[in-house]
Amino acid sequence: MTVPGAARSRATAVRATIAALRAAAVAAVLVFFLFPVYWLVTTAFKVPDDWFSMPPVFLPSRLTLVNFAGGAAGSMASLTTSIETITPYLRNSVAVAVVTAFVSTAIAALAAYAISRFRFGGIGFASWIVSIRMLPPIATALPLYVTFKVLGLLNTWTALILVYLVMTTPFSAWVLISFFNEIPRDLDEAAVVDGASTWGVFRLVALPLAVPGLAAMATLAFIQAWGEFLMALILTSSAAAQTLPIYLGRFITGFRIAWGPLAAAGLVTMVPVVVFSFIMLRYLIRGLTLGAVKY
Amino acid sequence: MGSLRTERLPANADVRAGGKAGRPSAAWAFVAPLIVLFVSLTTFPFLYMIYMSFRRYNLAAWTPSRWVGLDNYVTLFARDPTVGRAVTFTAWFVVIALPVEMVFGVAVALLIRNVVGERAWRAAVLLPMMIPAVVAGVAWKMLYNFEFGPVNYALSFVHVAPVSWLGDFTMAPAGIILIDIWQWTPFVFLVVYAALQSVSRDLVEAARVDGAGPWQTVWWVELPLIRTVLWIILIIRLIDMLKLFDIIYMTTFGGPGDATTSLSFYIYKVGVSFGWDVGYASALSVVLLAAITILTNVLIKTLNLRELLGL
Repeated sequence: MTVPGAARSRATAVRATIAALRAAAVAAVLVFFLFPVYWLVTTAFKVPDDWFSMPPVFLPSRLTLVNFAGGAAGSMASLTTSIETITPYLRNSVAVAVVTAFVSTAIAALAAYAISRFRFGGIGFASWIVSIRMLPPIATALPLYVTFKVLGLLNTWTALILVYLVMTTPFSAWVLISFFNEIPRDLDEAAVVDGASTWGVFRLVALPLAVPGLAAMATLAFIQAWGEFLMALILTSSAAAQTLPIYLGRFITGFRIAWGPLAAAGLVTMVPVVVFSFIMLRYLIRGLTLGAVKY
Repeated sequence: MGSLRTERLPANADVRAGGKAGRPSAAWAFVAPLIVLFVSLTTFPFLYMIYMSFRRYNLAAWTPSRWVGLDNYVTLFARDPTVGRAVTFTAWFVVIALPVEMVFGVAVALLIRNVVGERAWRAAVLLPMMIPAVVAGVAWKMLYNFEFGPVNYALSFVHVAPVSWLGDFTMAPAGIILIDIWQWTPFVFLVVYAALQSVSRDLVEAARVDGAGPWQTVWWVELPLIRTVLWIILIIRLIDMLKLFDIIYMTTFGGPGDATTSLSFYIYKVGVSFGWDVGYASALSVVLLAAITILTNVLIKTLNLRELLGL
């Protein structure tokens, strides 16, 4: 080779510099995205003196579970949270999100099957479903508040489940259409030849093969219902039906905030959805891009 | 993008797939629950809302509601300065946050791919978008704290005076925009990252053979190939930005003054938290809904739904 040693070492130096810059950029990006999460998680385990101090405690030397167990009042705080007060909200969140997940998936699966197999409604119907995904929740909140008031449904699980179904079903139906499209039609035809009815084909052929998609959509509906805030804020008013996000919202507007317990409650609210989101990442991508990316 | 369909069925596929007459009615039975749900919980409320928007209707007042014609709309367009402020804030929010999220998301996707430890970094970057907005609000309210927050503490090292991130007329909107960038850039990143992986390696190789450098390959081959996906996430982010609410409620509550009052938050304030003026809030909702519906329809027209759905 005729490459002079000086040029070669300069090329190596340039490459090393680029690699170092890239590593620094990756590190900066990670700090930006992770630090707020780190702060929330560590605060949840900090002793009251470390919640708010100057300088802030970046690496807590003392960790505690008192923020989760309750009774961690601290010197600054007049409000505090405890296991007893959070339990009803946790129960409401679980009930509302689980029921929403199952019902939404069932409704979406039926509609998606009709669209996939019978081309029901064509593009107009499909556009309508997408446009419901785009609606601002606040725009239906007030008329629904008045309607539910008349029906006696305010501050109930039913009210929340009904409005969450509207938010989760379009997304699920959209993704499930692509799942049903991927099931070979030959199987339908074989079942029909064997004498199966339309319902029989759906229940015995399509549904079992779409189980991964159904599970994914149920999980995603759970995630959406679990984190929803605005509708729960307007339609519920007490621990009988309020969900975890409302619990957090109530404490953050207090005058003196007990940050440790609030961060602990935030952690409880966040963990299930984070875990589920990562498990369902592939389907999340498909749904979020209206099916344009199959990952 | 989109796996290629190997079989494309004729338009009358349902007939061929075994159907006797009666298939269409079976289809109606399948979609009936969805239609009943959407009509009763979206179409009906909208009509009711339009009706309420022509009335003086206050849930906190003792007097029954009464017909006032276009009065609420006159207030909205001519008398209420907060509407203009909410529109201005939302417009600034979109104009700054949307391009930043798109460019930053693409940049992070390009930065992280092929770096050692790619999978772990990818998961780490995705974390913010997995967190419920209310929890993000709790975290950022701590970070932004004027006296004890780590953000101002970090700034003190570069001799920047403490910033009132949530209490200053200029900085509060900036603080909200920063939270949105933090939470939703990962969404752009995730989709772009996944889409880039679906770009055919052959095309990239061909560009390389033709002498294109890495940047040229990205700019002239890969990004053009994922432009549909980029357009879809731009639309989705835009529409979701117009719904901004949770973070506002958790951090600034629309303040200081109306500096961070988004459209959704203003409707909430009028209709619920400051006085239950349902009539006027309905008029505001009607206008917001009309604007979003027009926007959505125009944008959906640009997408090839038939292809996306594989219909």
